[in-house]
Amino acid sequence: MDTINSEVARQLAEELPPSVLRSIITTFEADIGRLAQELLAAGRAGNAEGYHRAAHSIAGAASAVGASRLEREARLAMNPAHDEPPHVVMPRLMLEAKAAIEALRLLRP
Amino acid sequence: MRPRILLVEDTPTEAELARAHLSAFGHDCDHAGTVAQALEIAAARPPDAVLIDLQLPDGSGFELMRRLRQAGVDAAFIVVTVNASVKAAVEAMREGAMDFIVKPYSRARLQVTLENALETRRLRAELEAARAQLGRGSFFGFVGASPAMQAVYRTIESVAGSKASVFITGESGTGKELAADAIHRASPRAGKPFVALNCAAIPRDLLESEIFGHVKGAFTGATDNRAGAAKQADGGTLFLDEIGEMPADMQVKLLRFLQLGSFTPVGGTRLEKVDARIIAATNRDIRAEVEAGRFREDLFYRLYVVPLELPPLRARGEDVLLIARHFLEVFSAEEGKAFQGLDAEAEALILAAPWPGNVRQLQNVMRNIVVLHDGPLVTRAMLPAQLIQPSPREGARPAVRVERRARAVEPLAVVEKRAILAALEHTAQDVPRAAALLEVNPSTIYRKLAAWKKEA
Repeated sequence: MDTINSEVARQLAEELPPSVLRSIITTFEADIGRLAQELLAAGRAGNAEGYHRAAHSIAGAASAVGASRLEREARLAMNPAHDEPPHVVMPRLMLEAKAAIEALRLLRP
Repeated sequence: MRPRILLVEDTPTEAELARAHLSAFGHDCDHAGTVAQALEIAAARPPDAVLIDLQLPDGSGFELMRRLRQAGVDAAFIVVTVNASVKAAVEAMREGAMDFIVKPYSRARLQVTLENALETRRLRAELEAARAQLGRGSFFGFVGASPAMQAVYRTIESVAGSKASVFITGESGTGKELAADAIHRASPRAGKPFVALNCAAIPRDLLESEIFGHVKGAFTGATDNRAGAAKQADGGTLFLDEIGEMPADMQVKLLRFLQLGSFTPVGGTRLEKVDARIIAATNRDIRAEVEAGRFREDLFYRLYVVPLELPPLRARGEDVLLIARHFLEVFSAEEGKAFQGLDAEAEALILAAPWPGNVRQLQNVMRNIVVLHDGPLVTRAMLPAQLIQPSPREGARPAVRVERRARAVEPLAVVEKRAILAALEHTAQDVPRAAALLEVNPSTIYRKLAAWKKEA
């Protein structure tokens, strides 16, 4: 699985004017920065509801821009039935977040 | 007008992407990030469709749908979620969503879903309007859903706002005074008096005084000035029932009043001006009366501006049962009886009876049943003998078949409209499926809906 789903990236580039796509990538960077902080804080505090909500938002944002691997990690985190604890999932998720942001920067028109 | 879409999404990336798509579709888009914001925006700018994320910071998308419905927001709800489970989809539909989109979604998927939802909503609205137009079961004091009565209701609505004279014809007991009252109540004169005068019930010597009033001393017994019906109806409506019974000399005076809008009370010398809308009615063949010279032609044309013919009960199909049930309910309440309805045999007999006295006769029959019997159902044994055994004059009518109700013959256009609306209802407004069931092209249904909308 690629960091960015090439099919989604192609679709976005075709469907959106360059200025809109640039703006969405910028918004995504800001979103992920904020949501990752919320996720870390909730995970450390044992706040399951906040943790799941932040993971849900990360999954939504990631899916919107085709950040497949980040989306997969976020979906694991938002799933209450998943047995990996936050301290195991969070580092992987943060790595994927950084990778997604870097990959999208390269795609920025 | 561009459809207005309310996007409820708390994650900025997704909101920005969805807004970009909606804007490309040519829709007006409002954005809310919370349940509270969405309710506020929907109240200020009612949306045609709402795209709802299920997880919002201050509540769930389901809760938002419920609260929007409670607030009377009549929009197509589309749930957008990262959760692709069947359970979530079923729950969304149960909560009133028209469709369900799973993230990530393509622009094309969003467009198709949105256009379908907006089209379904539009068709539902047209269906309701068409149904309301086709099937009003009551109208002011009238009870009846037959095509004949729908035409009466439409005429009353059309003429109510005008000052034009209305001439109501119809057999005795068809509701001529009710129609006059409905015209008055539907008109801008509703707040002013409705004065009804039965020309046949007043001695001919007193008719002029009853209509135009008199001054003190005008005749023996005129001990005081008295305003007549015309003066009492100033600003409102004067209903002259049984106008065909009006004596010739009085016809001249009425014509003069209609021409000038003023009259002189009996024994008076001063003209009085009033603004009264005139509605006349008769159960006679008024044209025959004119031809026979018994009714002035010039007065006829003054009064016969908008004709309104009330159908006899025998031409109103199953209205007879609606009316029977209505009277049964009203009289049962008045008499403290426990009637709940009519059994099938009694209904069939009532449906097949000729009702020469029309609604008034049916009213008397139902009153009689309620007074003399106890419920819970009206049975054949409770019906008057003449309903069960028609008089020799009506002997040529076909025998009553209690196992099968006769259905009124309806105009083809009405039958067609009913069939199309029923197919749309059956398929939840899915035009292609409805068309397939009716074995017509979908364009036929679209064309008909457009034509009915134009008619409405």
